[in-house]
Amino acid sequence: MVLQVLADEGVDTIFGYSGGAILPTYDAIFRYNEDNRASDGIDPIKLVVPANEQGAGFMAAGYARSSGDVGVFMVTSGPGATNTVTPIRDSMADSIPVVAITGQVARGAMGTDAFQEAPIVNIMGNCAKHVFLVTDPEKLEQTIRTAFEVARSGRPGPVVVDLPKDVQTWVGEYKGHELLGIRGYRQRMESLRRSNLSDDEARRFFEMLGNANRPLLYVGGGVINSGAADELRAFARAFNIPVVSTVMGLGSMDTTDELSLHMLGMHGTAYANYAVEDCDFIIAVGSRFDDRVAAKAELFAPQAEHVAHIDVDAAEIGKVKLVDWSHVGQAGTTLRELTDYGRQTGFDKDFMPWVTHCSRLRERHPMDYERESPLIQPQRVLEEVNRLTGGEAIVSTGVGQHQMWAAQFMDFRRPRQWLTSGSMGTMGFGLPAAIGAQFANPDKLVIDVDGDGSIRMNLGEMETVTTYDLPVKILLLNNSGDGMVRQWQKLYFNDRFSGSDKSLHRKDFVKAAEADGFGFAERVNDNESLSETLAAFVNYDGPAFLEVMVDPDAGVYPMVGPGKGYKEMVTGDHIKGRDPDQAASTDIDSSEML
Amino acid sequence: MRHIISIIVENEFGALGRIAGLFTARGYNIESLTVAPTHDESLSRMTIVTFGDDNVIDQIIKQLNKLLDVVTVADITDSPHIEREMLLVKVEASSGESREEFKRMVDIFRGRILDVTETIYTIEVTGACSKLDAFLEALGEREPLEVVRSGAIGISRGDRRVQVEDRSEPAASNRTTGE
Repeated sequence: MVLQVLADEGVDTIFGYSGGAILPTYDAIFRYNEDNRASDGIDPIKLVVPANEQGAGFMAAGYARSSGDVGVFMVTSGPGATNTVTPIRDSMADSIPVVAITGQVARGAMGTDAFQEAPIVNIMGNCAKHVFLVTDPEKLEQTIRTAFEVARSGRPGPVVVDLPKDVQTWVGEYKGHELLGIRGYRQRMESLRRSNLSDDEARRFFEMLGNANRPLLYVGGGVINSGAADELRAFARAFNIPVVSTVMGLGSMDTTDELSLHMLGMHGTAYANYAVEDCDFIIAVGSRFDDRVAAKAELFAPQAEHVAHIDVDAAEIGKVKLVDWSHVGQAGTTLRELTDYGRQTGFDKDFMPWVTHCSRLRERHPMDYERESPLIQPQRVLEEVNRLTGGEAIVSTGVGQHQMWAAQFMDFRRPRQWLTSGSMGTMGFGLPAAIGAQFANPDKLVIDVDGDGSIRMNLGEMETVTTYDLPVKILLLNNSGDGMVRQWQKLYFNDRFSGSDKSLHRKDFVKAAEADGFGFAERVNDNESLSETLAAFVNYDGPAFLEVMVDPDAGVYPMVGPGKGYKEMVTGDHIKGRDPDQAASTDIDSSEML
Repeated sequence: MRHIISIIVENEFGALGRIAGLFTARGYNIESLTVAPTHDESLSRMTIVTFGDDNVIDQIIKQLNKLLDVVTVADITDSPHIEREMLLVKVEASSGESREEFKRMVDIFRGRILDVTETIYTIEVTGACSKLDAFLEALGEREPLEVVRSGAIGISRGDRRVQVEDRSEPAASNRTTGE
């Protein structure tokens, strides 16, 4: 029953770890594959077993993030389910559609503190988009199907289905179509689908755009989640509007595009953040003025006379920053409607002076780092990998400095190439996410850029890479500690490196990779051999592991301190900043100010 | 500002927990919360009395609207409405003087004495929360022995109704599922 719904929903891969309370459904996977196996011997529903259930959750998330399809994972009750709380919350925070099926003790045993029992409805209810507990087996089929509907509709998110063991063994007639009657939710989704932009709304938008001289698109993960990258690019090009992206939005605009200013925010590029300081009209699309972007809402884009906000979630409108124009709807539809309206009405305001200004910001304040050091600079490693991949690879990361360097120094030509735990900031995300992404994209180059702190969190999944012979590339930037924590301790805790220094840790990561069966397992200690080894690593046909010993003192810059405005951005020793008093008014010549 | 939020929810497992959890996780106040089934057995109606400025109330309503179990949310304090809460209170009434005094007070507040012993009155008062507050205030030094309040419920005046817009049966799947 469960498997048939999954198959009907197009599921081809399940990530999961077995256990007592989910055994009947694991048996069903076995039987389903046995009955439906193709002549080439390939299982219609692959079962991928991680080292730890958390890994399964992040694999499903990596699968979903890189493909846009719902990721599915299946674990047992109690500890199996609680191990997935982190990926469920992570997927909620980044709006990733996954369906988790958790075994539960039999209905009669629930509430008795049975073996491997945990109150999953309570625990997950506070983390997931929704949790279903199937108490009536007649509703099993509808519930699983509805879980997929909920995961992918509106603002996507994780849905948990808690399945008591005796419900799993129930036998009934398969109907093949029914859904649960979630009338309120479904009605809201229906009105969302119908929420077309009115002519009046479009007219007011173009009035604001017409009055602006320095409009800026500020785009986020919503553009990627709703598959609106094409519409975004068409809109930006149609009206010649530069684009800054959140960490979640990277790839929605091709980062090598002339109109792209890459990432904004706490560790955004200097030129993106200067553009935010200088713009007079912010157009937020699928982004939410998160504290890593707008630590103080009133200091964000201080010269913006108008703020427009397009989002699928009404609760995000006005939550942080008051806006004067908003539309609740799908990003793609809305942008297309706006583009059409602007074209039809012949909107032709020339933003070229502003675009030129932004290009000049990029030329004058490019990303840079210490290029003379004998120690390997992590930024250089990523710059070189980016040259090798041409911005075409799927890249996942852990959390910390390496994550920000990868965001800053790598290009993303298309959406769904950049997989990172943006909101929750979960260390250990990178490796399992890369595994999930490789399953969804067997022919693409998938690189996990990781840190020594982050990779330790789910190190067990190294073995999963070789077990399934996945050509995942693991690039470990080892700076002997939790670099981002150290950076903050340097800045705000007077160099007291409490708990963040790992120089005494003895682990030999290369040996670990060899032990797990990696055919390519190398370490680079010096600048001289870096390029050559990186090329061999990226081009290796099969699972590859490369550890690069990087300068432990390298810092992530630019940096906008927590709670600060972009005016107080610190660009560090290597990125050229601009005189803080030299705002747009003096930087743009009078003809550009119009 | 004090607001009375009316929520119609699916009568489903965990619905109450999810709504209460939302208030806890996002730090919204709950002054009182009541929940009971409606004339439609598949639905319950919940009334939450909360405090917050306009932005907070706006967020509460929008966040509630994202929950799957929630069918309809309305801030009934938006328009003319009727608010009721019930108070049951036990007081010591052993002297003739105090028994007379309580009877007068109960008359003034249009309450009722529900139960009597030689030393105790059990009183019911119904009305807006502020009226119940006033009654307790009026007890003055005669400390109540026990107080139980139902939490407020509310309903709009006149034509306005908090209702389920779409009464149709669960929609069939709009996706092709191999049928």
